[in-house]
Amino acid sequence: MAAVAQHSKFSKIAWPVLAWVVALIFFFPIFWMVLTSFKTDADAVKPENLIVFQPTLENYLNMTENYDYWRFAINSVITSVFATIFTLVVGVPAAYAMAFNPSRHTKDVLMWMLSTKMLPAAAVLYPMTFLTKNFLGIFDTHFLIILVLSLINLPIVIWMLFTYFKEIPKEIIEAGQMDGVSTWGEIKDILIPLAWGGVASTALLCFIFCWNEAYWTVRLTTTDAATLSKLIEGNRAPEGLFFGRLSAVSTAAVGPIIVLGWFCQKQLVQGLTFGAVK
Amino acid sequence: MSNRTMPRLLQTPAVLLLLVWMLVPLGMTLFFSFIRYVLNSLRRPEWTTPSLENWRGFGNYQFVWNNDGFWLAIYNSVFIVCSIIILTVTLGLAIAVLINRSFPGRGIVRVLLISPFFVMPAVNAVLWINMILDPVLGLQGLAVAGINEILAGLRDLPFLGAFFSLWPDLAPISFRATQTSAYAVILMVTWQWTPFAILIFMTSLQSEDQQQKEAAILDGANAWSQFRNLTLPHLGRPIAIVVMIQAIFHLSLYAEIEIVSRGNGNKNLPYLIGEFATNNIGAASATGIFAVILANIVAIFLLRMIGKTLMD
Repeated sequence: MAAVAQHSKFSKIAWPVLAWVVALIFFFPIFWMVLTSFKTDADAVKPENLIVFQPTLENYLNMTENYDYWRFAINSVITSVFATIFTLVVGVPAAYAMAFNPSRHTKDVLMWMLSTKMLPAAAVLYPMTFLTKNFLGIFDTHFLIILVLSLINLPIVIWMLFTYFKEIPKEIIEAGQMDGVSTWGEIKDILIPLAWGGVASTALLCFIFCWNEAYWTVRLTTTDAATLSKLIEGNRAPEGLFFGRLSAVSTAAVGPIIVLGWFCQKQLVQGLTFGAVK
Repeated sequence: MSNRTMPRLLQTPAVLLLLVWMLVPLGMTLFFSFIRYVLNSLRRPEWTTPSLENWRGFGNYQFVWNNDGFWLAIYNSVFIVCSIIILTVTLGLAIAVLINRSFPGRGIVRVLLISPFFVMPAVNAVLWINMILDPVLGLQGLAVAGINEILAGLRDLPFLGAFFSLWPDLAPISFRATQTSAYAVILMVTWQWTPFAILIFMTSLQSEDQQQKEAAILDGANAWSQFRNLTLPHLGRPIAIVVMIQAIFHLSLYAEIEIVSRGNGNKNLPYLIGEFATNNIGAASATGIFAVILANIVAIFLLRMIGKTLMD
C-alpha cells in the first residue's frame, strides 16, 4: 500500500504512457508487416501510400501462385506436429521415471541431456549431410526432419515435463502401484490427467520451436520436405520489389505461431531457463 | 517386474536417441578434422574419400588457426553475441521494471511485448532488412527522403531559409554493407530477444520480497537505491541465466547472417563452417571443433548453475 501511495500524480500518468509507447514500438515491425501485406507490391513502396491505401487481399489469394505457400506450410505442419508427438511419446515415460523413481544418476542424466542442446549445430553440419545423403538416403524427407526436430527438442521437453511431474505428490502414483495398475495405466489414467496443463503447454512450446527452427530444416532439405523457414529464406527479395506479397507470406508463416505463443508465456520461462527462474 | 528395471526401461529410448544423436555426428566431425578430406579435387582425387590413409594430424587445426578468416569470424561471433547480450539485458531490465506496476491495459502491453519472440528467424531478418532498414524502399529510406524533402522546403523560406541551408542532407545507411551488416544483425536479434529477457526478469520480479521493499520505503530509500540495493541483487541469478542462454543460442546464429548479407561483414563461426563445408571438409570440421570448445566454455557455467536448483 505504502508503495502505491508514494507514486506522484505525474508518474501515475507518465508510467503507463511510457509502458504503452515501449510496447507499441516493439510491436511495430509486426504491425507493419501485417499492414504491408494488404498493400499491392506497387503501393507498398510509395511514400504517399504509407498509411492510407486501398486494402487488397490479392497477396493472400496469390500466395499459392507466387510462392507455392501451401506446399511449404503443409510440410511445416506435418513435421512440427509429428515431431511434437514423437517427442512426447519418448519424453513422457522418461520424465515419469525420472520424477517418480529417481536414481543416483537421474540428475547427471538430466544435465547430460541438456548439454546435448548446447552443441553448436554447425559443428556437425557436414556429418549430418553425409550420413543422411550418402549413407542412409533419407536427406530431404519428412522422416529426417521429424527425427531431427524431435532430437533437438527432446532435452527441453523432458526437462519441462520433469519439473511438472515433480509437483505431483508421489503418494498418488504409489497408490496406483499398490493397486497393481500397470505402468502404462499409471501414465495414461493417473499422471496425464493430473499433469494435463503441463503436458499441453510443453507440447505447445515444442510445436513452436519446431515451427521456427531455421538451421536443420534449411540445410537438410531441398524441395520435398522444405518448410516455411526455407521458403522465406529462399525468397528474400533483395530489391524490395515484392514487399506486399513477401509480407503476406511472412504474416501467414508467423501469425498462427504468435497467437499460440501468447497462450504459453509462463511455460516459456520454465522451458527456456530449465526451471532455474521461478 | 522389479522396482528398478521399469524406470530404466522407460528412460532407455530417450537416452539412446540422444546418445546416438550426440556421439555419431560429433565423432565423425572429430575424425574428419584429423584427415585431409575435400569434396572436389582434380589434382588429388584420393582426398575426396574419407580415409585414415589421408591422416593429417593437427594440420587442419593449424590451417584454420593461421587463417585470417577464422579470427575475423571469432571476432564477429564475440562482437555480435556480446552486443546483443548487453542490449537485451539493459533494455529487458528497464522494461521489466516499467511494466512491473499495475496500470490500465497491462495484459495487452505484455502480449505486445512478447510477440517478437515468436517470429521465426527468417521472417525476422527479411522483415527488418527489407521493409524497415532498406536505404531506398524501406521505412528508413522513406523517412530519410521525407526529412530531406522537408529540409528542402525550409530552405526556400524567406529569412530562415539561409539558416536551414547550413544543414546537410541526410544520407540513408545501407545495412547490407560490410561496415554495417553486423549492426543490422544485432538490431534484429535484439528486437527478437529483448522480450525473452523481459519475460524472465518480470517473472523473477514478481517473486521479490515486497515487505523488504516496503521497509526500505519507510526508511526513506529512494527509487534508485531500492533498485540498486534490493531489486538488482534479487535479479542476479536471472541475469546470469539470460546471459548464458543467449550466448549459447547466438553463437550459432545463421539465418540472419545469411539473409542480411551472406556473411559479408558479419561472418561468424557457423557461417564460416558452412563456407568451408562447400569443399574443405577437414577445415570445416576443425572449425566445428573450435566452435564446440567455445560453446562449452559457456555451457559449463550454465549447467553448474542449473544443476544447483535441480533437486530442491
